Amino acid sequence: MTLFSRKHIDFLLHEVSDLPELLKEEYFSGHDRETADMVLDTAFEIAQKEIEPHFVDSDQKEANYENGEVKVHPGVHGFVKSQAESGLLSATFPEEVGGSQLPESVAGAAAFIELCHSNSFPMYTDLLSGCVKLINSFGTTEQKETYISKMLTANWMGTMCLTEPQAGSSLAEINTKATPQNDGTYKIDGQKIFISAGDHDITENIIHLVLARIDGAPAGAKGISLFIVPKNNPKNCSESNDVKTIGLFHKMGQKATPAVHLAFGAEGKCTGYLLGKPNQGLPQMFKMMNSSRLGVGLTGLALSSAAYYTSNQYAHERKQGRIPGGNENVLIAEHPDVKRMLLKQKAIHEGGLALFIQVYSYLDWQKAGKEIEKYAALTELLTPVCKFYGSDQGYHSVNEGLQVLGGYGYTSDFPLEQMARDVRILSIYEGTNGIQAQAVLGRQVQVNGGAPFQLLRAEIEKTLSHLNDSCLFKRDFETSFKKLQQVTSTLLSKQNPTELLADATLYTEFLSLICVGWQWLKMSLATEQMDTEFNESFKQTIGYFFRYEFTKCLYLSEILLKENKITV
Amino acid sequence: MNILVCISSVPDTTAKITFKDDNTTFNKDGVTHIIGPYDDYALARAIELKEELGGTVTVLNVGTAETEPQIRKALAIGADEAIRVDAEPTDSFFVAEQIAAVAKENSYDLIMMGRETTDYNSGVVHGIVGQLLGMPSLSPVMELNIDGNTAKISREIEGGKEKLEATLPLILGCQEPIAEWKIASMRGIMTARKKPLNVRPAVGEGLTSVSSYSLPPEKGDCKMIPAEEAEKLIDLLQNEAKVL
Ligand SMILES: Cc1cc2nc3c(=O)[nH]c(=O)nc-3n(C[C@H](O)[C@H](O)[C@H](O)COP(=O)(O)OP(=O)(O)OC[C@H]3O[C@@H](n4cnc5c(N)ncnc54)[C@H](O)[C@@H]3O)c2cc1C
Repeated sequence: MTLFSRKHIDFLLHEVSDLPELLKEEYFSGHDRETADMVLDTAFEIAQKEIEPHFVDSDQKEANYENGEVKVHPGVHGFVKSQAESGLLSATFPEEVGGSQLPESVAGAAAFIELCHSNSFPMYTDLLSGCVKLINSFGTTEQKETYISKMLTANWMGTMCLTEPQAGSSLAEINTKATPQNDGTYKIDGQKIFISAGDHDITENIIHLVLARIDGAPAGAKGISLFIVPKNNPKNCSESNDVKTIGLFHKMGQKATPAVHLAFGAEGKCTGYLLGKPNQGLPQMFKMMNSSRLGVGLTGLALSSAAYYTSNQYAHERKQGRIPGGNENVLIAEHPDVKRMLLKQKAIHEGGLALFIQVYSYLDWQKAGKEIEKYAALTELLTPVCKFYGSDQGYHSVNEGLQVLGGYGYTSDFPLEQMARDVRILSIYEGTNGIQAQAVLGRQVQVNGGAPFQLLRAEIEKTLSHLNDSCLFKRDFETSFKKLQQVTSTLLSKQNPTELLADATLYTEFLSLICVGWQWLKMSLATEQMDTEFNESFKQTIGYFFRYEFTKCLYLSEILLKENKITV
Repeated sequence: MNILVCISSVPDTTAKITFKDDNTTFNKDGVTHIIGPYDDYALARAIELKEELGGTVTVLNVGTAETEPQIRKALAIGADEAIRVDAEPTDSFFVAEQIAAVAKENSYDLIMMGRETTDYNSGVVHGIVGQLLGMPSLSPVMELNIDGNTAKISREIEGGKEKLEATLPLILGCQEPIAEWKIASMRGIMTARKKPLNVRPAVGEGLTSVSSYSLPPEKGDCKMIPAEEAEKLIDLLQNEAKVL
């Protein structure tokens, strides 16, 4: 069964997004439409061959911890190898480090296709490429030479180690220690928890990027530095660097990716190498977290897509109940309430994916060297919105998918049960959605006197100016968009920061609906090239989105404008 | 080892099949095309043999410009160059004639293709090419190894498997498990743009034209009869399905 619509992806990339213009830029001159299409084919082939066959088995046989060693499902080994050998792992990196300078928009679409088939497997390689991004951005020449080629070929893997038992959302509380040594290295001492892919038997080395505090560093977030801490000595991988797994967490989903409790320097022999500048660990790490945040949101949408195609097929096979007045059982797909659930799922990932590809194209414009500041500001503003929307709505979508299957959906005979467990983590890690919302309202809409928000407004207005007034949903959109601006200025005028941030989550939900609504309008400008079947389905889905989902803007604005917050 | 791999461009196996122009033409609107799955096996084994023994792999397709994405894909998977004979592949003989014409101008040690296409499934092109070139043609080949000038082949036959040896040059219709399908890598995808794709006109003319197509009747509803109610089954077969 197909778990995604290639037609919708092609529509977004080639008819809606900036990709055709981006491909004219020198930086992307190695690519054209045909290469983009082939990259998506490759992603699908890897998904079919290396991910899909292990979807259920890798859930049933979760990673195993025995005698201090972690063994992961054999399917993960094959996937990681394919991802490296196909070059998808290094695709978006510059040619000088062995990459192919593939546009992020295409790579994002390729990742979406893989993620539809399981979110556990691609997590290993997403973490790995995030680590390489950091080393490539902040590493010394020697560090780049030591690590990058080994990692981009998946000879070594990578992780990000932020969380500690007392420091989850509040990374300022981190207390892993880094003690300077005479040779310029550091002794690392501390424990990290929940480290995804923190240990496994896939590669001879694992490169951990660890947040720690150099002795005497300022307290709080300003005193955190970033270190490269290999599991084994990079010059001799048979020599341990005193990084030990002391346990695995047993999770409700994503079972093929172990979440590991790691002890660094239990024997006082763990060496770390400072990456970038001292005390700049958090802002540097955010560089990796931004792409990972997009990845997490995208995963939510991919699961929505997988759930939709699975439940849609079921709804077209299962007969149950009659249409009022009818005398025969009908396919459940004919019941309006089931239709509503299916449309909800479809609207979530189709609209959401458009927003993601928009943000990926902002990253591409920066790589192409065009209006870097503008596109960076838009990316910073929209990244937490994307993480929030994809993970939150992905969860709701999978939940509707399960509901479509009724009792069968709750059993392990159908994949919805696993999807419902797998999707749940997405709104928790990479910064909980509550924390994303605080980043949006507490920082992104306020920085530089609200400049990023104004840039977004200009982008949206550009789309609106192309729509003619007969466009069915333009007026509804404009009304809610005005409301958002009113809500934003009302909230920002609040003196008490607790009051400002009390309903940051609702504010972010509102902003994300506006952003996705904008994308639906943008898509509606590009449907001319598409066939009748696509257009009919599009009309129904956009109609659903504006009537059932977008209308939530009104209720959200009402709550957000209420003076007395009962939670403060 | 110079190998010619003939590939067809066929509708994706999940495509919805419809016709237009009074049911005389297959409606390609919105249909994704892929390299014929059996041809893909032939291509994969040809690339392995090239990697093992050296030489070149040339892909050949008889088709209009619309098939170029599938040809580029074959180049991305690892073929060195491509030839497109610019014509609609109207029937098996016409396609075989084109392949034979290209083969006569070059000297290939092997001409490989799928055992059949997955659109019209005629499964005779390799045989006709053999006849036109006066060379042995074997199908369906499931295993192929080359030892000097000899091909060691295992072939599926009625009720079993046959192992045989034949001297090159040869024409082979291939099927799984001759090799595993290859996935195009980023490097392959990017270099495919620079590999030569020569377009040439067709020789001869198609011998057939289609008067009309029709789809098989839709599958009827499935009724489940409990095993203990065999009389009910007989009754339904007699009176409802009217097959007894
Ligand atoms: C499966 C899994 C994999 C993970 N992988 C990794 C990994 O690879 N690397 C890594 O470093 N970490 C990883 N994590 C950790 C993850 O990032 C944290 O769990 C997450 O950041 C939340 O921290 P916490 O669990 O301590 O929750 P807490 O910080 O205790 O939060 C609990 C609740 O309080 C809310 N809250 C907390 N502070 C505030 C605030 N200031 N304002 C408003 N609300 C607030 C949160 O939103 C949340 O709802 C993983 C976790 C899991 C479960």
